[in-house]
Amino acid sequence: MSRHRLQQILSEPLLHFFVVGVLVFGGYRFFNPEPEQAVDPQRIELTENDVQQLAISWLAQGRPQPSPDELRSLVDQKVTEEILSREAVALGLDRDDQIIKRRLAQKMDFLVADLAALEEPTEAQLADWYSKNSDRFALPPHASFRHLYFSPDKRGDGARGDATAALAVLAGKSADALQAQTLADPFMLRNFYGDSTPAQTAKEFGPAFAETLYGLKPGAWQGPVQSGYGWHLVWVESIEPGRVPLYEEVKPDVKAAWLDARYQEVKRTALEEMRSRYTVVAVPLDDVDLTNLNSQDAANAAQEPVSQ
Amino acid sequence: MAGLRIHLSTLMVRASALAMTSTLMAGSALAQEREAFFGETHVHTGWSFDAYIFGNTKTSPADAYKYAKGQTIKHPLGYDIKIDTPLDWMGVTDHSEYVGTVSLANTPGSDIAKLPIAQKLIVHSPADIQRIYLWLGGTIVDKKPIEELISPEVAGSVWKQNVGMADQANEPGKFTAFCSYEWTSTPNNRNMHRNVFFKDCAKVPLTPFSSIDSSDPSDLWNWMDGQRKEGNELLAISHNANLSDGHMFPTDVDEKGRPIDAAWAASRDRNERLTEIKQIKGASETHPTLSPNDEFANFEILTYLLGDPSGRFPQVPGSYIRQALKDGLAMNEARDYNPYKTGFVGGSDSHNTGVPYRQNNFYGGHGHADGEMKQRMAGFLFAGLDTRLENPAGLTGLWAEENTRASLFDAMQRKETFATSGPHIKVRLFGGADVAAAVDQADWVKAAYASGVPMGGDLPPLGDGKAPSFVVWALKDPTSGNLDRIQIVKGWSKNGQSFEKIFDVTWAGNRTPDQFTGVVPPIGSTVNIADASYTNTIGSVELKGTWTDPEFDPSLDAFYYARTLEIPTPRWTTIQAKEVGVAPPDNVPATIQERAWTSPIWYTPTKEQRTTVKGTTVADLQAQGATALDDKALNDLVVGKTTWVRNTVTGDVFSIAWTTSGQRLIGNVNGEIPKPSEVGDVFHGGSLGAGTAYAIKDGAIVTTLGNMPYEATVYKVGDKYFAARSNEFGFANYEVVPTPQALDPLDQQKSPF
Repeated sequence: MSRHRLQQILSEPLLHFFVVGVLVFGGYRFFNPEPEQAVDPQRIELTENDVQQLAISWLAQGRPQPSPDELRSLVDQKVTEEILSREAVALGLDRDDQIIKRRLAQKMDFLVADLAALEEPTEAQLADWYSKNSDRFALPPHASFRHLYFSPDKRGDGARGDATAALAVLAGKSADALQAQTLADPFMLRNFYGDSTPAQTAKEFGPAFAETLYGLKPGAWQGPVQSGYGWHLVWVESIEPGRVPLYEEVKPDVKAAWLDARYQEVKRTALEEMRSRYTVVAVPLDDVDLTNLNSQDAANAAQEPVSQ
Repeated sequence: MAGLRIHLSTLMVRASALAMTSTLMAGSALAQEREAFFGETHVHTGWSFDAYIFGNTKTSPADAYKYAKGQTIKHPLGYDIKIDTPLDWMGVTDHSEYVGTVSLANTPGSDIAKLPIAQKLIVHSPADIQRIYLWLGGTIVDKKPIEELISPEVAGSVWKQNVGMADQANEPGKFTAFCSYEWTSTPNNRNMHRNVFFKDCAKVPLTPFSSIDSSDPSDLWNWMDGQRKEGNELLAISHNANLSDGHMFPTDVDEKGRPIDAAWAASRDRNERLTEIKQIKGASETHPTLSPNDEFANFEILTYLLGDPSGRFPQVPGSYIRQALKDGLAMNEARDYNPYKTGFVGGSDSHNTGVPYRQNNFYGGHGHADGEMKQRMAGFLFAGLDTRLENPAGLTGLWAEENTRASLFDAMQRKETFATSGPHIKVRLFGGADVAAAVDQADWVKAAYASGVPMGGDLPPLGDGKAPSFVVWALKDPTSGNLDRIQIVKGWSKNGQSFEKIFDVTWAGNRTPDQFTGVVPPIGSTVNIADASYTNTIGSVELKGTWTDPEFDPSLDAFYYARTLEIPTPRWTTIQAKEVGVAPPDNVPATIQERAWTSPIWYTPTKEQRTTVKGTTVADLQAQGATALDDKALNDLVVGKTTWVRNTVTGDVFSIAWTTSGQRLIGNVNGEIPKPSEVGDVFHGGSLGAGTAYAIKDGAIVTTLGNMPYEATVYKVGDKYFAARSNEFGFANYEVVPTPQALDPLDQQKSPF
């Protein structure tokens, strides 16, 4: 089948209808080809267990016991789905279907990833792992500071100059010098920030302000420092430098990170193991002709249906 | 002045104060301390089946939370992506159709744990993992599948992992991770999607209600009602009304074809508190067709149906929020219920796990389909959608006491929410009889909470002869453009017709509103298009203003919301055109004005106030012995003629020329008079001389507007003709009149309402 033809079929609404059924059952079939195909393909049998499973799915969504009518409708839906998916498979609609392939790949991904989630690390494992990865847990510096705001809304281009002039007035004065009140403009957010991290400061004032702030020395009016709102004079009360915490301080985070790393590793080794059972033959990539691929056909071939 | 007042209210202090005082103080006292928390209501990871197809195969919800907190992750195409300003909260909304896996085997009491197979799957030591894996792999190689693994009992386990990841990412006071999912109903290519948010992850059901269970929103609401009854608080957010083909906000029949009634409206209002006003696939505020007098309506309009079905295009009426708000008022007036009292949120709908919020950091939303700049800028057709029409994600702001699931959820529930087009613009809106009085005080927010209601609320009784006043406030994003203006968008309804008008309230610079229209002229632009740059040399950092409705009529339903605009900045396509070395694409604007929308505040008249106004209804005409014209009588009345018609609500008189070839043109349109909901295009076209097709069918004149048929039925009473049009809820608001001598006699000013 040409890509063009495939594309035409892919855009059929009827196919989209089939796909749902195929996704549900085609996937199972990949694991389980015998029971439904080896038996009479025109026979659909629902055992007591099957019906119970329908009811379990229903109950799992937090709904009350299905009424006889609701159960009948569930069975009906299931049968319709089964018929459509069988018809679709009989037509070969599951073959060469990128959507179905990726859906199955996604399922396999989940299966593998699940295994990683099953393992509990020991205390020793965690402590050892932390000693090798502790820099990932470094705590940011914290600054406590107050500031005076010089608003471009009120002062236009003069905001910076006014701040510089105010700094001269405040030189050698204390943090709560009375003059300060008359020199600056009201600020829309807070005038004092206690224990603010660079990320928090950047969120509030913009990244450039945050970058400057943590380089300032405590105990004097300094500036002008520019933020996303205008100009500021800043009085840093204290800066607590960043540090690497003790394992005990961040144990839950270490465990989460360990599980995460383990998850990646299990996925990787699982894929490697699977791959070891395959022989992959690909042409040397240097030999592939990549010119003239930007034709309309190529664009269409790359196009994929949307669910969103 | 307030410059040196020291606020020691760090989060910790406030949190403990909250705990101590919550039993003693009313909500309004705590409300005064509410902060804006920015977050994401709509993002997909590799766990969404379609995201996986788009090439997002490696990421999980945990990665989405990492991205939101500021960590670098990988785009599906392999390059690094990082958020500009980290978020305060997020709900990952993967599609609810999940696959089953094995972890339930390790959960004592789970369905699968009771099966004999579970013994083989339970992990006692790390070595078991390799053993189980090889065993599983072996069964596949040998084609001996494990039936138990593919049974529906395990279908909920991925959802369970999703909940686990939300719990892990959730850090009360610092970052909130919601349990949420997307109900992905797309009947007939119409986007009916809803995101469902749970208040408490400990109470979520084993599996979510999915669109496989039902594609009808009222079934979703019924299920939600059941959950709520069990003590599981939740709410739904509709999204992409713009892609719903007119089905997101119906006024006559629901998806089952049943007439919309009070129960349907109440169910929607109870469950669907919010709607998404902007995301990567376009904005849903309004459409230039519906709001021809709104010069800012043409913002990220995207015309598309999911799956790009051939031979169709989406219907505009019923697909936009402002019109739904207006229709809701008219329905409340005519039928005594309003299904569309919705608050606003913004979202992304990114399928990349990470989300681009900025024009200068736009990497698409659909993995391989729009993740490569040159392909994107070439107008690549992603399932029929020109990728240049996509735009950065919207964002949600919540005014809440603290950054916790409970506090943020309550903010969503009471609609104290605002949406932005992406930047972290903070906006406030308060309404009340006297709310404007305190605006110059340093603690005006406290005064406003004490004397009025915030966004999302209902105006309290105003007192005799009083019009509602409002305080609006906006603060720019420190990393984005300055602010241009704050507007109030007002909607109101009279005799089944609903109207809108936009008022400029406060603006940057020394601009003078137009003497007659009151419109503030454009702010200008600092954008250098070739350089894709701008400067913040125009516009304001902060805007604050008050406004009292000058046209207030206490007998009419109304809503008010605030829209804040930034100064013009380059659109992402302009920035990337420079990077690619091509001209900015000509099918999208080179510059945009980023913006923020507050949830509305509603005014509802009392029953006594309402009875002072009553127009003529079809029922009134019938009681007077009116006869409805049949096709022949309609033909005789209009075809090949020009009819003069008076809109009895507005007093506007206009002409309609009906050609024998089936075209009609509305003439003599008065541009200043607000046009009733949904007929903007017809009138607009009239002033441009562009006609619209009409047909006479089954006793009605049918005009098609934006793919939607409108019917006018004409009644004869004595020698007078009256017409009733669909979407006006049983009123007959149009009267055929003789040709007027003058349209606007200078001594007769038309009354504004």
